[in-house]
Amino acid sequence: MEIPYTFTARKDTGLFNSKIGIWLFLASEVMLFGGLFSGYVFLRVYADYPWPERALPVLPGLINTFVLIGSSVTVVFAWASLKMRQWRRFQFFMGITIACAVVFMILKGMEYNAKWHHQAVRMDDFTILEGHTHKATLDEHGHLHGIHHGDEVPGGAFPQNVVVVETEEINLTLVRAHDPYVEDILEKAMARGATPVLKDDAFFYGAPKDMRFGATAKDIEPAERAEGEEKLRKAHSSGNHTAVKFGKKSLFIPKGTPLTTKLLDQAEEVFLDARSNNGRVRTDALRREWKRVRSEFPDEKRDYKLAKEIKITPELLTGRVAEAPSALTFAFKEPVALHFKRSVIREGDGTSRLKDDTILKGKVASSPLGLSVDAVDLRWVAQRAEEQGKDPDAVIAKLWIMENPGFKEIWERHSAQLASLEEHLTEKYGLDEHGNPKRVPTENDRYRIDWQDLVAFHRAHEKHLDADSPEVEDLRPGMMEGITGPDHKNPEFQHAFFSIEVPNEKVAFESLFTPKWNHYYAIYFTITGLHGLHVVGGALVLSYFLFFSKGLYRSNPEWLANRVEIGGLFWHFVDLVWIFLFPILYLM
Amino acid sequence: MADSVEEIKKAQKLYILIGAVLFTFTVVTVAVATQPWLDFGGHGFDMADMTIGLLIASVKATLVGAIFMHLNHEKKLIYYVFGLGIILALALMGLTGFHYIDPLEYGNALEGTGFFNPANPVDD
Repeated sequence: MEIPYTFTARKDTGLFNSKIGIWLFLASEVMLFGGLFSGYVFLRVYADYPWPERALPVLPGLINTFVLIGSSVTVVFAWASLKMRQWRRFQFFMGITIACAVVFMILKGMEYNAKWHHQAVRMDDFTILEGHTHKATLDEHGHLHGIHHGDEVPGGAFPQNVVVVETEEINLTLVRAHDPYVEDILEKAMARGATPVLKDDAFFYGAPKDMRFGATAKDIEPAERAEGEEKLRKAHSSGNHTAVKFGKKSLFIPKGTPLTTKLLDQAEEVFLDARSNNGRVRTDALRREWKRVRSEFPDEKRDYKLAKEIKITPELLTGRVAEAPSALTFAFKEPVALHFKRSVIREGDGTSRLKDDTILKGKVASSPLGLSVDAVDLRWVAQRAEEQGKDPDAVIAKLWIMENPGFKEIWERHSAQLASLEEHLTEKYGLDEHGNPKRVPTENDRYRIDWQDLVAFHRAHEKHLDADSPEVEDLRPGMMEGITGPDHKNPEFQHAFFSIEVPNEKVAFESLFTPKWNHYYAIYFTITGLHGLHVVGGALVLSYFLFFSKGLYRSNPEWLANRVEIGGLFWHFVDLVWIFLFPILYLM
Repeated sequence: MADSVEEIKKAQKLYILIGAVLFTFTVVTVAVATQPWLDFGGHGFDMADMTIGLLIASVKATLVGAIFMHLNHEKKLIYYVFGLGIILALALMGLTGFHYIDPLEYGNALEGTGFFNPANPVDD
């Protein structure tokens, strides 16, 4: 059957099918992006921390705006060419449109990449540092050493954003232990010539299959145990120290067995088996209890009254539940320094915990976070000081970072420049009726030192300029000197940025510039990610028209023109969303 | 909508013109946001810059919708469909207003409704 109105318009609506379809779809898209924009507004208006204003480099966003507007023009020209039956011209404009989509995604990729390699740290006094982490290694004594830019980076170096634990024991939860973590621990331990071995004998007394039909673990246990021990003895004498399975569902792992993921898997299997057996035993006991109570009180039909009579005593379960440890402890002969990414460990006094609930016994060694700092943000410090009725400048003067002589000098330069900006604004715009300056520096001006400021200060220092000299402003790097952000490979910038080692206990929160860092980046990645997917999807559809539609053009050019119009409508919508995204994410 | 070859040829000039206007407006938006000599309102980013930025964006979006997407002479049904989408999107934004009845933060709003929790009085 032929579908009507695929390329001719319906009389009453004046529209062909796909046009109604695309507009219904675009209406739903308006609501989708509208919801996300609304999320953005909500997060921004109610943020209880200084919102990252104009946090992204403008140039990639600006180029992408040009690219999308340009592609909107070319896609409409591609459609017009088809209407005029000019195939070559259509190919030309559609080709440019798709090339624009590719450029857009490349720039977006560069922008994302820069964010994913940029580190942010919030200190316990709410100072925020941004920069690149140093590389580091552990020496033969297990001490952490930062390797600064320009130094040789020997093999085994890692970002200096780790916590070093002088590990004595590792306690692994069988069902939670994450294999990659375990392998990582083993690899690092082996590199230091150490092997974790099981601290105590581990017995997993599994239960016989048909527990519910009478037999109990207690009845079988001694025989199984004897058999197991016999096997174990044999294994030992043949020099094989691996775990030995005995009985149907039991396991015995002798003390001193080295840790492997396979061993954990075996133990986990038996543990899970024992757990499900015990669940069955308990349900069974409960069922029998209810039966007993119901027969004792035949006149009582209300279960909530009977529930009080239900009593599961340990005696009901004795000998029927299987015993299996849920975790195994492995020990080193001597404490071994192991380093863990700060994001996977919660360190504590004497015991630390990894994300998979692995517990590490041992003291935390000195683990400073090494950073080449390209921006310092004290706006949160100032905001908190004001909330507490304190003078922000007095609070800032006492910050830990002020003890760093490099930063102190930078802050002095910054303060001098700020004073000169205040003077300039008062001179230019005057005072209001209360005698206050009409225009004052923003919170960003006052409390944030950007990478461009650091570079300008460095250049001013090289040229022996005073900090408050108006020429310093002209020394700020332009848009082209850091398209996606500060370039840490640029030797001049390396000198402008300062190195710092933040003690472990001062690090309150750290993250790369990913959705985890704050709400701004969460909503930024959500909206731009979704928008990027639209660009990719749109480009794929338009590519189909360009590369696989010659046949349709020959047989029914009007139909192809309609298709391109529909694809074009979607493409314009993608441009339309970006028109709003660009100012709210890059300029505000 | 332009359907005949002549009309389309004429419309192409308009498309180029609109493209140029969009480019110019983008440059203006960036200039207002970054150039000190075009700094409206107070010093640096503030409500005035935001209003101007969003206003220009709205004009740009309208141009794209009206000219490139041919909404300037589209059929009524399309207006209904798209209009409803926009109204519902605005309603979605309006929903954020309901944060005032968040009992944890804004207990007072619920006073007398039976939901008021005196343990969390409003803090202003």
